[in-house]
Amino acid sequence: MIRRKGLDTCLLGFFILFLGCVPISETTLSPGSSDDLPDCYVIFPAGPWESVHRIEAIIKGGASSSLIGVTKGEPSERRLQSLLLTPEGFILFDGELRGGEITVRKAVAPFDSPAFAKGLMEDVVLLFLPPQVRPTTWGKAADGTRICRWEGPDGCRTEVWESKDRGWRILRQDNQGKVTREVFLKGPFVSGLAAHMELRASKPASYRLRMTLLQPSP
Amino acid sequence: MKRFFFLSILIVTSFLSAAVGSSQDWASLKEASKNIRSVKAEFLQKRYLQILTKPLLSEGRFFFNASGSLRWEYLSPVRSVMLQRGGTIQLYHFSEGVWKPEITQAVESRRMVLFEISRWFQGRFDESKVFRNLYSPGPPARVILVPREGIDRFIQRIEVVLSARPGVIERVEIEEPGGSRTSIEFRNVEINSSFSPEVFEKP
Repeated sequence: MIRRKGLDTCLLGFFILFLGCVPISETTLSPGSSDDLPDCYVIFPAGPWESVHRIEAIIKGGASSSLIGVTKGEPSERRLQSLLLTPEGFILFDGELRGGEITVRKAVAPFDSPAFAKGLMEDVVLLFLPPQVRPTTWGKAADGTRICRWEGPDGCRTEVWESKDRGWRILRQDNQGKVTREVFLKGPFVSGLAAHMELRASKPASYRLRMTLLQPSP
Repeated sequence: MKRFFFLSILIVTSFLSAAVGSSQDWASLKEASKNIRSVKAEFLQKRYLQILTKPLLSEGRFFFNASGSLRWEYLSPVRSVMLQRGGTIQLYHFSEGVWKPEITQAVESRRMVLFEISRWFQGRFDESKVFRNLYSPGPPARVILVPREGIDRFIQRIEVVLSARPGVIERVEIEEPGGSRTSIEFRNVEINSSFSPEVFEKP
C-alpha cells in the first residue's frame, strides 16, 4: 500500500505540479526554398524502426526514477507502440497509437489512467513523428539557426530548430504562444534516432525525461 | 508492489534452485535449505518482448545473506540496485556519475515480500498463497511455479532449470500472458561464501 502511495506521489509529480510557461516571441525568418524542406524532417526516423531507451524521469525538486522505454514506429501509418518497463523488466505500460486512437494493452497503477496514456503518447509523437502537414514556414533566423514551423488548426505550433552551437531542438507551443514542451536532441543519429534526447515539459505538468538510446534497430 | 513481486520471483527462484541437488524432492529441498547462509551470483537477463526483434539484455549480480539482507543489482544497460537490510528497503539508480534514490520506496510491500522469501527459503512452499508448485526430477531437474489467481494476470508460469552441479541454477524462465517472457541465466554462483556486509548498506 505504501508503494502504491509512493507511485501515486510520482503521478502527482507528473500531473499536478504546474510551472509557469514562458511565452516566446516569434523569430523572423528569411524564407527557405523547397530544396530546404527535407531538412525539416531529418531528425525524425523515416522508415519503420524500433528502439530501446534508458529514461531518467525527473520531477520538480529533483526526485528521479529510472525506466526503460521501448518504442516501435511505422511513420507512414503514423503508428507507434510504446512500452515503459522497470529496470527489472516489468511492464508498467504498453500502449499503441493507431489512426489517432490510443489503445492501452497493459497498464499498472499509477500508469493506468487515460490522462497518463494520452500524455505519454503525445510525448512519444512529439519525439518521433513530424507533424502530418507541410510546414507553414521554414528558413533561417538572423543568427543562422534553421527553423521549421508548423501551425496547427487549434493555434498550437511545433517548431524544429537547428543551430550550430545548440544542436537540434523541438518546441511545442500552446495557442497562447507558451512553450509547453522543449526537446533537445544530441547526435550521433543511429537509424534516424538521436543518441541522446531530453524532453522538458512545463504544462500541464512539469517534468524532464532524459533519454539515452540503448538499442536501435531499423 | 507488483514490480517488487516480479523481482522477488527472480531472486527466490534462484535461491530455490541453489538449494536443490540432482536427486531432490520437496523433503530434501527443505533439508538443503537449512544449510544456506549466503548466495552470491552473476546473471544475464534476456527480456523477450513481442515489440522487439532482438531481446533486451541486462547483466547484473546479487548477494544474499540468510540473516535477511539482499542486494539485487543491474550493471547494464540501466544501472540500478535494490538494497534490503532487515526490514529496510532502498532503491537507487546510477545517473550522472552518482547514485540517486528512486522516487518510490514501498517499504511495506517489500517487507511483505521478504517474509515470503524467507518462507520459501525454509522450504515451506506448501504454505505459499501465491504459487502452486511442482518438482520435476528431470534430467535436468526443474521446479515449476504456477501462480494462483490474481498474480496470473502478470505471470503465467515460472520454470527453474537446475544445473547438474548440486546447488547451482542454470536458468529461470518466466512466461507472461501475451507471449512476452524473461530468461535469466546464472553464472559464477557461490554458496556460503563470505562477503562484506557493506554490499547491503551502500549502493
